[in-house]
Amino acid sequence: MDDLRRPGSPASRLGRRRALTAPAVAGALVRALTDRFPELAGTLWTDEDTVEVQIDGARSVEVLSRLRDDPELHFWYLADAAAADYGVGEHFEVVYHLYSDLHPAWLRVRARVDRSSPHLPSITGLWEGAMFHEREMFDMMGIIFDGNRDLRRIYMSPDYRSFPQRRDFLLPDDAADSSAAGVNPLERPETWDLSRFSEEVAHSIDPILPLGTSAMAPGPEAAEIEADETDADKSRPR
Amino acid sequence: MDWDLVLGIARFVVATTLLLLLTIPTAFIIIQMELKVIALMQLRYGPNRVGPKGMFQSTIHGFKVLAKEDVTPDLVDRPTFTLAPWMVFMAAAMSMLVIPFAPGLVAFESSISVVYFFAILGLSVVGLLVAGWASYNKYSLLGGLRSAAQMVSYEIPLTLSIVGVVVLTGSLSFTQIIEWQLQHGWAVIWQLVGFPIFFIAATAEINRTPFDMVEADSEIVAGFATEYSGMRFGFFFFAEYVSLFIMSAITVTLFFGGWLAPWPFPAQLEGFIGTLYGLFWFFLKTYLFVFVAVWMRATLPRVRVDQLMGLAWKVLLPVALLNLLVTGVAVVVFNLSGVQ
Amino acid sequence: MTAVDPETRVPDPIELDRAEEARLHAALGVDLPPRPGDEYAGFDTVGIPDRPPQTEREAEIYTLDEGEMLVNMGPQHPSTHGVMRLVVKVRGEVVVDLDPVLGYLHRGIEKLCENATYTTVLTYVDPMDYLSSMHNEHAPAIAFEKLYGIRAPKRAEYIRALVVELNRVFSHGLMMGFLALDMGGLTPILYGFINRDETVELLSAISGQRMLFNFFRVGGVNWDVSDEFISRLSSWRSNVGRSIGDNEALITENEIFTARTKGMGVLSGERAIALGVSGPNLRASGVPFDVRKAHPYSIYHELEFEVITHSAGDVYARYLQRIAEIKQSLHLIDQIVDQMPHGPVQAQVPGIIRPKPGRAFGAVESPRGLYSVYAISDGGPNPYRFRMRDPSFISLQVMPVLMPGHLIADTMAIMASLDPIMGGVDK
Repeated sequence: MDDLRRPGSPASRLGRRRALTAPAVAGALVRALTDRFPELAGTLWTDEDTVEVQIDGARSVEVLSRLRDDPELHFWYLADAAAADYGVGEHFEVVYHLYSDLHPAWLRVRARVDRSSPHLPSITGLWEGAMFHEREMFDMMGIIFDGNRDLRRIYMSPDYRSFPQRRDFLLPDDAADSSAAGVNPLERPETWDLSRFSEEVAHSIDPILPLGTSAMAPGPEAAEIEADETDADKSRPR
Repeated sequence: MDWDLVLGIARFVVATTLLLLLTIPTAFIIIQMELKVIALMQLRYGPNRVGPKGMFQSTIHGFKVLAKEDVTPDLVDRPTFTLAPWMVFMAAAMSMLVIPFAPGLVAFESSISVVYFFAILGLSVVGLLVAGWASYNKYSLLGGLRSAAQMVSYEIPLTLSIVGVVVLTGSLSFTQIIEWQLQHGWAVIWQLVGFPIFFIAATAEINRTPFDMVEADSEIVAGFATEYSGMRFGFFFFAEYVSLFIMSAITVTLFFGGWLAPWPFPAQLEGFIGTLYGLFWFFLKTYLFVFVAVWMRATLPRVRVDQLMGLAWKVLLPVALLNLLVTGVAVVVFNLSGVQ
Repeated sequence: MTAVDPETRVPDPIELDRAEEARLHAALGVDLPPRPGDEYAGFDTVGIPDRPPQTEREAEIYTLDEGEMLVNMGPQHPSTHGVMRLVVKVRGEVVVDLDPVLGYLHRGIEKLCENATYTTVLTYVDPMDYLSSMHNEHAPAIAFEKLYGIRAPKRAEYIRALVVELNRVFSHGLMMGFLALDMGGLTPILYGFINRDETVELLSAISGQRMLFNFFRVGGVNWDVSDEFISRLSSWRSNVGRSIGDNEALITENEIFTARTKGMGVLSGERAIALGVSGPNLRASGVPFDVRKAHPYSIYHELEFEVITHSAGDVYARYLQRIAEIKQSLHLIDQIVDQMPHGPVQAQVPGIIRPKPGRAFGAVESPRGLYSVYAISDGGPNPYRFRMRDPSFISLQVMPVLMPGHLIADTMAIMASLDPIMGGVDK
């Protein structure tokens, strides 16, 4: 039964990480970045294999296109585009990870997005493959990418009314809104109100849940939901 | 009273009934072969619980299909919807009438049995088209049209390759073709090009892999038979396996000597023993070809529909014509034809 | 046929639905807009949503010209990739446009992991891309180790690389089977499963599980590898060439297979990069990007291997690429077994780790491509944000680009060559 023996040998804490790459090599990237983007020098942070910069959301396309097209930087591959929510009163952040064959480190670009007006220029012009990333960020976090030709929900159904990965998303509210709680969307007048798909409303998030509302301050919807308490409501931590 | 006529009619009725009854175990045996042989080729067991070594699995499948609910959509054209499976099955059953199983054991002896066979074969195309159209479903319609196009395209090289045999043997009757082969050796040796054409075209004609686009289950839907359930569906697939048997039987008859035994054995014997002897060899050879068809199903992927059509028109047809030309010239030059 | 009395007839469920809908409309006083296509009596209008298109692209695909038709493939596919719906706009047999509809397998794993400890997260990520569970666990393990400031012991890294390459072998072997199955060949998938069965027996000897392995831990792996296992591995190693070879003999030189895959679904290198494709699909289009070489993780900088590419970029090239990668993985396994050092297999970490606040990115090369995890820690026992980037998700964007111009029958072939796994696509 040797292979089932738990590793009992006292391996001491292995201590801090050693850098994977010699600093001088990733230093070339740091130098190139500070040369071309001197205003970002203050936010630059490095790890053993990642270099991170922070930018303002509105500049994302400009910065990323320069990162991609500059022959010394040459970040031609978009590895990941993710969104993070820093809390109810805080901002969003859209994080891009880029790969370059000239530098031994991943580049992380953190773009800050305002919560009250979560708009960001779309990078589908730079990388076509960012389409699904942006659709997912819209679906899950409610960030609107201006210039994206196909900004619709990708995981949730098209008439879903909230943004699951936000920090103020409460599952019991979602459950209270579902067919399991006896809600029939066909019986709701707003389901049949097709004006919510009209041009000026189409690209603003969730007209039913007003911007800036969190579940802490109950809006008009929340009052309705709390009126009949479902089982899910009873399980919600107070 | 014309006793000959009465006897003739009685004989015909008995023969036909026996043949129709024969189709049932034939289809069951072939389905069982498919289940078990393909399973063994895929290194798994296949059915091994129902009956000794799982022998009765396909029989139970047959009875299950009988017991299933017959769900018919509302808007179908009922007469044609009901008629389509009958047409397909009748085409298969009627073509069994002319197959020579053993010396003297043919349900319908005629001097133009080849022509009869191919006429009846066309009936199954009509059945498929009717099935696709009557289903009131655009996918069934498309599937029916596709399968009709496939079958019609492959009938031409099929017929042309048989005409090669006909020219060679000088006769349109299956029994006479077999007797020619008794004297001259199996036709496959004489028709080395014609046989592959025939085999490929026959496989396409009965919608077997690799030409089973029609029933491809990774395509959109199940083709023309989408709206059929229960015994109606059972009829279609029954008919498919029966036509597999028939095509193998025709292959054997036309190219491999029918009921004749291969070289080291005496070709045919006399009397009742001779009938049994011929029957044995006929079934052995036929089921060998059925086995080959099942083997192809286990091994080969599917040909795409445009490549399938391209194969029929651009490859098989010219080669079949060429084969016919060479056969005709050779027959005239070497004076090969004729039985008696 | 028996005649049915209209008075006492039990109504069809579809009739009940329609009647109920009509009653609701009457009660609400709302007029339902006519469904597009209602004018074609009896023909179903599958796929067209009963609301105006929300985006430019949606309008583009759901507007039918003369002679075009929408065909719905899925969500229940006879094909093996999982639940996905493809709305295909066809003109006759030729595909004009395609829209994948996802989300049928969405389980909210990212959100779920925000309430789980770091070790529990490693069990939640297994069923994402369920055919490459080890890779699913490897990337978060790397990210969490960076957050916690710890390194796994050398032996643990070697074992990780070993199981990850074993996983790659059977995943690619299955892809061969899926590709053949979607083209009608019934046998290669079963040979692929024989190969998988043998490999998975090995992996279950290490991790105790056959499918969702739960083997990685922050700081190492859970169980050690014994000498008996190494001898089983070597006997497996001598058998696997045979089972892959059987499959290859059936498919690779087969006329029908090559006629259906060569020149089909050609993806150029630049387009692939723009679309975010990674892994064997990208390398089969000629771009030599392999995360194991690009930013080496674990012990890959100590192993000797080349990045394999093919230049054709068609379905056949993607198939050949995976076969070549199987052979490469076997070569890597040989090296790993040779070079494996002795030592502990798990660093000492507490049961619930609380890394310092920070951010970490861990990327691995999974059989489908670049699989990465971006984790944000806030100092607590649960990750603050746990983001997984799945390669099949991004590769699916290739479908609407590649498909137009091909026949419907090729849809399945091209999709099988991209080898998506819906668990990863939908998270």
